Amino acid sequence: MAKLHAVLVLAALILGLAACKKESPPPPPATVPAPAPQVQAPPPAPDVVSVANISLGKALGPDKKVAAATDTFAKGDTIYAVVETTGSGNATLKARWTYHKGDKTAPVSEGSQTLSASGPAASEFHVSKPDGWPTGDYQVEILLNDKSVGTKKFVVK
Amino acid sequence: MSEEMPDFSNVQSGSSSTATTIYEVKPGDSLSKIAKAHYGDANDWNRIFEANKDILKDPNKIYPGQKLQIPPK
Repeated sequence: MAKLHAVLVLAALILGLAACKKESPPPPPATVPAPAPQVQAPPPAPDVVSVANISLGKALGPDKKVAAATDTFAKGDTIYAVVETTGSGNATLKARWTYHKGDKTAPVSEGSQTLSASGPAASEFHVSKPDGWPTGDYQVEILLNDKSVGTKKFVVK
Repeated sequence: MSEEMPDFSNVQSGSSSTATTIYEVKPGDSLSKIAKAHYGDANDWNRIFEANKDILKDPNKIYPGQKLQIPPK
């Protein structure tokens, strides 16, 4: 009798387990992770000033751009470096003028201006020397927020 | 043999822009002095005063460290 009871309990357990197994949901299909959506580079922020052009000349027009670009100057010239920028916002422009002789470099002048730009702008830096420029090779390096953005070489003859 | 480099201590320099620039007031500055430096005419001080009325109440009182908007010439 006890043996029969044990068999019945065992059978009930097996049936119960089978019933539970039937009710459990099928395993989810193996999933392959979807490819990450391609991230496109955001368009440049509009409120950032960037340098579009640097030019040298002996005189400025009313728009503050050089009247005639040149890289050769005379001893008595005032030398203008014009930096054209685009974008808006605050930015510091710096012009670092140097003289080069062989492998030596001498600082000539350094000027800076902080812009509060609201669109395209032309900013000029100029240097002159009352007793005349020594002949030789020079360059002006333009920095935007202390980062070099361009160099122009020129000669005084 | 070292090459002597020229003396550039008397080089004169300046700058201007078609954009509004920002100038930080230094000790000894006045609006007239700043106008003379930026516009070439001390009488143009009022242009700077007008552009900075939000922070300047009296054109005779500016302080080192103040940042003034300098409208283009």
